[in-house]
Amino acid sequence: MSLPELQKSYFQLFDLPENFALDQAQLGERYRELQKELHPDRYASGSAHEQRLAVQYSALINEAYATLRKALPRALYLLKLAGMSKEDISGQKVDGSFLMAQMDLRENLMMLDETGDPEAALEHFVTEIDVDVKQLHREFSRAFSAGELTSAAGACVKLQYLEKLLEEAEQMESRLIDNQN
Amino acid sequence: MALLNIAEPGQSPLPHQIKRAIGIDLGTTNSLVAAVRAGSVDILPDEIGVMMLPSVVNYTDVRRPLVGAGALSLATQHPADTLMSVKRFMGRGSRDAVADAQRSHYHLADGEEGLVRFITSSGERSPVEVSADILRVLHQRALATLGGEIDGAVITVPAYFDEAQRQATKDAATLVGLRVLRLMNEPTAAAVAYGLDAAEQGVIAVYDLGGGTFDISILRLHKGVFEVLAIGGDTALGGDDLDAALAEWVLQHCGSPALAPGQYRQLHAAARAAKERLSDEVAVDLDLTGVLPSGGAVQVTRETFDSLIEPLVKRTLGACRRCLRDAKLDAGIDNIVMVGGSTRVPLVREAVADFFQRRPLVDIDPDQVVALGAAIQADILVGNRSEGDLLLLDVIPLSLGIETMGGLVEKIVPRNTTIPASRAQEFTTYKDGQTALAIHILQGEREMVSDCRSLARFELRSIPPMVAGAARIKVTFQVDADGLLNVSAREEITGAQTSVTVKPSFGLSDDEITAMLQASFSHAVEDKLARQLAEQRVAGWQLLDGLNAALTADGEALLNEEDRTTLATLMIELQALLEGQDTAAIHSLIERLGRQSETFAGRRMDKSIREALAGISLDSLDDEVMQ
Ligand SMILES: Nc1ncnc2c1ncn2[C@@H]1O[C@H](COP(=O)(O)OP(=O)(O)OP(=O)(O)O)[C@@H](O)[C@H]1O
Ligand SMILES: [Mg+2]
Repeated sequence: MSLPELQKSYFQLFDLPENFALDQAQLGERYRELQKELHPDRYASGSAHEQRLAVQYSALINEAYATLRKALPRALYLLKLAGMSKEDISGQKVDGSFLMAQMDLRENLMMLDETGDPEAALEHFVTEIDVDVKQLHREFSRAFSAGELTSAAGACVKLQYLEKLLEEAEQMESRLIDNQN
Repeated sequence: MALLNIAEPGQSPLPHQIKRAIGIDLGTTNSLVAAVRAGSVDILPDEIGVMMLPSVVNYTDVRRPLVGAGALSLATQHPADTLMSVKRFMGRGSRDAVADAQRSHYHLADGEEGLVRFITSSGERSPVEVSADILRVLHQRALATLGGEIDGAVITVPAYFDEAQRQATKDAATLVGLRVLRLMNEPTAAAVAYGLDAAEQGVIAVYDLGGGTFDISILRLHKGVFEVLAIGGDTALGGDDLDAALAEWVLQHCGSPALAPGQYRQLHAAARAAKERLSDEVAVDLDLTGVLPSGGAVQVTRETFDSLIEPLVKRTLGACRRCLRDAKLDAGIDNIVMVGGSTRVPLVREAVADFFQRRPLVDIDPDQVVALGAAIQADILVGNRSEGDLLLLDVIPLSLGIETMGGLVEKIVPRNTTIPASRAQEFTTYKDGQTALAIHILQGEREMVSDCRSLARFELRSIPPMVAGAARIKVTFQVDADGLLNVSAREEITGAQTSVTVKPSFGLSDDEITAMLQASFSHAVEDKLARQLAEQRVAGWQLLDGLNAALTADGEALLNEEDRTTLATLMIELQALLEGQDTAAIHSLIERLGRQSETFAGRRMDKSIREALAGISLDSLDDEVMQ
């Protein structure tokens, strides 16, 4: 059983360059290849030791895949590889105008219930945030490739705010679904 | 769809290498066993050719239990000895099972660790033992039909089964000496039965409406790998609820007479029979013999029935919408698979077709499809098929986390995470000199401990005494491919370590689980406010405790009198605020007090870390770093 070396980065595990921009098709392809080899199902009639190892390696690959597949965890992971600690990243200051805008957005979200067509309003809200998210992805990508780690980390912190907002929008959507029934 | 052709010509292993593997659908109302033989998968019938085994066991005869149709026929004569729908009791505490038991006329006893036990003429039986008796019959049937020892079995469970229910199912199989190759989610098994054409690609939704539960799963099949993208559902919504809606309507129609328990049971049975006939007919007579003294019948049209069950069907569609959103698809669904007896209801089929804009697949008998899929997976796992075969990547249905301060749950493995999974999180001590940390493991979506299901508790001991916040305790959750959890905790400086395999011993009823899930969506705002207040209170008390202890220990040595007085004044002020509800005021005072005590904390931290590291030799420090 060939095992991936733990010393490798997640990118190396999937034969991908250490970039923010990433070939999702290749990521998925390689993920399935690795799981086909290492998943515990492949060792269901193997020894207890083999099975335990398979669980660990398969879990590692799932974790690596989950990290690279989505933009924000991937960006944070790149910063980690570049030597930034969690505290370095969370310590980034965000400008006041961004925070003000966040507060407004959150307020808008909370008021959506009261609009005539909350579902449409929610969809519009999410689409608008997605535009900002894409913009921040570009900002991160540029800053990171230019080696400007501090501004890359700044973009991540902003993305975390937006991610939270999207999570809240999701909860709102669930409530709307429940209320219909 | 080509279901039956499994092995390609020339690919099958030599006969003497073929192992005997079976798939078992251990259902609430009916159970089945299936196997792959000579390249085709089928249900194994009993000696007179019957496929379905009613999940009913009668314990009147002390020499041996009677399982299946024979037991069912004794149900009215010996209600307390005839156990049905035992799946609803698996992994449940007696406290939680009382309502279900009353409805079923069982007598309960408290078992070990609060687990439920039924009292019968042949003594006490646990749900695990009853399930084992059902499994034993299916095992025997497989031995007889396959002509030899069984090498392994795949047993299906509802996707929404939690830890305790999964563990109980596995225990039942162990009791009869079955080697469990894998516990498999029922909808996933159905998808496997349909998705066998390995060439096929696309996204499949499985809509499973059985007797007592509703499950929805969305999977992607890509080059022989089945990836479960999201699952959702309702553990307390099924055919039983359709029966109840119809029974309720009949009662009102008859002027709401008061009924005795026996008459109620009769009414529900009549409602179920009428419901099932309405799947083929547009109007039926519902027989009231044994329900009303006058007997007679009442006519029910499909139109009336449809209007009665529409709200329930809509509820399932709500769960479908959420699941679709969780799956985060770029494109639509390619196929929708129907599973479970209740998907025979025409309105259900129409509503599902409408919602997904696809005609649902019903080519495979919805009663059999789960067992067939399980048999295919068993055949793969036991090693009968060549490399590069179908691989399944499933997810966990409910989030797993641990209790943090103030009765809050910190999620460590969120729901819909692909398994096997391993996640670690660091925690720290909150009191000076704290040498043990209690770890409380929970499952559920809500933010407060009291709203989630408690799975296990354990303690990490021999943490070296340090100031609050200096210890680094890494808690690792590992979920295996059966969805079973193992938790370990380790103090990173000394390497003190402890772990448990989670084997939950008490639980919640299905209603409570459903309520928990629904509440997690509808209480989001309320939760948040409560959470914020709780968080601030915890932070406040923690700060006060910490400062008190610190001042007692080092106040005199490290601070001058003026600084001590300033701190004490603020501390008293904070203490008063903590009794109230003003989250914002608490927060701002904590900040102020925190800033005020920063230097003091820094001086103490230096002192404490030097002391903590003093006893450890460089060698062992290196070891810790290496790992
Ligand atoms: N023709 C029919 N029309 C409508 N409902 C039906 C029909 N046949 C069976 N049912 C209903 O299907 C339900 C049983 O379904 P099924 O056998 O799939 O459940 P199960 O697998 O035992 O339960 P679960 O999956 O919840 O554990 C019962 O409520 C029954 O009344
Ligand atoms: Mg079923």
